[in-house]
Amino acid sequence: MRLELKGLTKKFGSFTADDDIDLVVEPGQIHAVLGENGAGKSTLMNMLYGILTPTSGEILIDDKPVSFTGPGDAIAAGIGMVHQHFKLVGPFSVADNVQLGREHTQGMGVLSAKAARKAVLDVSEEYGLKLDPDAICEDLPVGVQQRVEIVKALSGPKTELLILDEPTAVLTPAEITELLQIMRNLAAAGTSILFISHKLKEVQAVADTVTVIRRGKVVAELEPTASEAEMASAMVGRAVTLQVDKTPAEPGEARLEIKDLTLVSDAGVKVLDGLDLTVHSGEIVGLAGVEGNGQTELARAILGLVKPDEGRIAIDGKDMHGASPADRIADGLGYIPEDRGRDGVISEFSVAENLVLNQYRDVPFARRGAVNSGAVRKRAVDSISEFDIRTQSPEEPVSALSGGNAQKVIIAREFSRPRRFLVAAQPTRGVDVGASQFIHSRLIAERDTGTGVLLISSELDEIYALADRIAVIYNGRIVGEVAPDTPRAVIGRLMVGADIAGADDTAPASDDDADQTDEEANGGDR
Amino acid sequence: MAVDTMTASPALVDESVPVRYAKAGAVFAALGLFVLVIAFAVVGGDDKTLIRFDKTLTDVEWAMPTTVVMAVLGALTAAAGAWMLAGIPKRRFKLVSAIAVTAFVFSLLFWAYSQPGTVFRAESILAGALFLSLPYLFGALSGVVCERSGVINIGIEGQFLMGAFTGVLVANITGNVYAGMVGAMVAGLLSTMLLALLATKYQVNQVVVGVILNLLALGFTSFMYDQLKKAEGLNSAFAVPTLSWGPLADIPVIGPVLFQQKIFVYIGLVLVFVVWFLLYRTRWGLRTRAVGEHPAAADSMGVNVNRLRYWNVTVAGLISGFGGAWFTIANSLAFSKNMTAGLGFVALAVMIVGRWNPLGVLAGALIFGFTTQVARDLDASGGSVVPGEFLQMLPYAVTLVVVAGLIGKAKAPAADGVPYNPGDK
Repeated sequence: MRLELKGLTKKFGSFTADDDIDLVVEPGQIHAVLGENGAGKSTLMNMLYGILTPTSGEILIDDKPVSFTGPGDAIAAGIGMVHQHFKLVGPFSVADNVQLGREHTQGMGVLSAKAARKAVLDVSEEYGLKLDPDAICEDLPVGVQQRVEIVKALSGPKTELLILDEPTAVLTPAEITELLQIMRNLAAAGTSILFISHKLKEVQAVADTVTVIRRGKVVAELEPTASEAEMASAMVGRAVTLQVDKTPAEPGEARLEIKDLTLVSDAGVKVLDGLDLTVHSGEIVGLAGVEGNGQTELARAILGLVKPDEGRIAIDGKDMHGASPADRIADGLGYIPEDRGRDGVISEFSVAENLVLNQYRDVPFARRGAVNSGAVRKRAVDSISEFDIRTQSPEEPVSALSGGNAQKVIIAREFSRPRRFLVAAQPTRGVDVGASQFIHSRLIAERDTGTGVLLISSELDEIYALADRIAVIYNGRIVGEVAPDTPRAVIGRLMVGADIAGADDTAPASDDDADQTDEEANGGDR
Repeated sequence: MAVDTMTASPALVDESVPVRYAKAGAVFAALGLFVLVIAFAVVGGDDKTLIRFDKTLTDVEWAMPTTVVMAVLGALTAAAGAWMLAGIPKRRFKLVSAIAVTAFVFSLLFWAYSQPGTVFRAESILAGALFLSLPYLFGALSGVVCERSGVINIGIEGQFLMGAFTGVLVANITGNVYAGMVGAMVAGLLSTMLLALLATKYQVNQVVVGVILNLLALGFTSFMYDQLKKAEGLNSAFAVPTLSWGPLADIPVIGPVLFQQKIFVYIGLVLVFVVWFLLYRTRWGLRTRAVGEHPAAADSMGVNVNRLRYWNVTVAGLISGFGGAWFTIANSLAFSKNMTAGLGFVALAVMIVGRWNPLGVLAGALIFGFTTQVARDLDASGGSVVPGEFLQMLPYAVTLVVVAGLIGKAKAPAADGVPYNPGDK
């Protein structure tokens, strides 16, 4: 299928999300659309998929203009879409999710489970995407859920164009490698792919053509051979250095001391298993690891959201046993949560209100229980300019902000009061290049003022860019603490628990661990 | 970076490893000990519980020694509690809980019917239980259809009232009781249509709308009741015949319970299976469940979320409206003010106990119907040691336990009560 967009424009009131977009996807081509958060990529895709109606301009499929009134029309026209936020019904089986909207029936609207299973197996075999049609979607790992989405998108009556909207945002490095391979195979089989991303490495790895969008306009058409810096500056609109400048760390006294921390989940699994970790003032310790190895629980335990079953946490030399999150924040703990929407902001609240969430009880923001809105507003105006938060006003709800700007609200809030120690969990997840760069430099500046920083990130690039020391977490333990110039391969092996004997004495290798690793390696293609 | 694993999931929990359930265990152990104390200290050693098959085998009577039976049941409950305290394999927990609850309830029954002058008339009570379960059944099925589509229908009580009132009115006007039933269904449909419109098109808070609709129905039917009193022959009782299936009706227990009932019972039972089949085996059901669980997913596959919700809620009104007719027509009663007495809310509880599944709803409705019937029967005989009100309280206790998640988590459809706008995530 040849897809052409001519002058596609979408306005929301006075705001123009997409302005006169021209774009051509040739058959069998992987066409990447690069852009920062809020550049208008998702709006563009939603128009292509019939979710939104364009204000003006036209969509041509094989040179014939089409107009979609809903996703059903787009599917019928041969377009399949894998959404950034999966559109899977959790309690449904894979087969039911795939057949939703185009059910296999045996007449009279009665479902045919057999036909639905077979359809899934046929597609998964045709494209080499292994799936169990009877598995319940919510039980599947994220990477497999995405495979379900791809099979779903390919199961249309004649899917010839696949839209992948930020498909790698939630994947582990291994899953990303696999996805990129799947994309190459699909393109080789003649499927056209529109690949929305802001991750430059991935775009370089798979794309045939790159279109860069900034503030709703096409600003560049590039070859995938273009350098990362070239792509990044086109996205941001100015020259970007991807390297973060920093001086060597000057570690001082211990700011975070964790001894033998153990946490048992409701299901009876040790999600933290005798974890030891120390972070000093003036250093950034990067916590590397495959997601789901206890990072989330560790961050929550440091903040005091969960009560550990054993072990001790001390912040700035003070034992935190029994201290509530509010106590710890008052004692100088800063916290950038990994799940921005759930733990970081109250999205219906205004930017100004979110900026004082950690100190709304304190003078000058409140006096005798009444909020001083003048002081709140002044703080908001200051923070908005200092942290370059792109918002129409301090009264705008955070839900109207792009992901990067919402993250800046959190960072501004955490940095606006004196602190001794900072937990930064996935600080640049879903954040565009420009904002990431800004956040990184703020983290370094923070370190240089003497704060101890624990950086939890699933992106090794980020850890390499910022960390002065790298700790690797696996199955709820620190299995190695290494220098920041350690090769990726070494850390990669630590991350999957393969090299435990090579780690320091905090984690003696045991038979259990070895078995575990084998099991997971075998279970990898579930 | 090449890593050959997908996710490092922690070791799965082995379901056969014993787990301690301290709270549940303590509760069951205490209940069991309570029963044992009653059996030996309160119940007289010679007390007997009489069971009679009053409709078919009128000459058979079982006399059970109350102390012995209660002791066995109490010991069973206590043993279940002790096992949970000591550690029980996870996969056995539900079954053992069910056994313990059943044993406890039966021990209370044996105690209640141990007094001289009380006889457990098995056939009457079971048949009555099935009949009394119907309002819960119809209300909860209507709730299931609505909530599976993602709309909270808290207005079942109001739909009952409208159905009960309109059923009698239409029957009086037309002189045909079946026309009255259809009238009740239409009245229910009109009530839910309003809910559907407000919930989908105008996206008003569904709980508030439901409460308002209940009050509206109560006010409207009460007002009309006063008006009808002035006119002759508009609110007279109408009855439907009891259907007897010939020789089938003479089978002990099963006959009187299943083959000697009013048409409402058969419609209710058939409806359970029809709704179940529609929900789990048809295209409509798949889309309905998707819309209630993840509307954005359904939307992205070309399902019109709000249209489907609108029609599902509207049609669900037919069921709750018919349930309203039960109060008047099935009971051969004229309409009176607020005659539904809050059963529409109990129906919501039944829906939760039944976990939004028609078969679960049937089980829940039967439990509620059974305890209501036993309480009525004990009240009528007047000789019970356990107050009827106490037994009537049991289903609510069960609801609390289920909702509190002791026996298992009752999980509502994920998008239940959440309005949907196309383009939402």
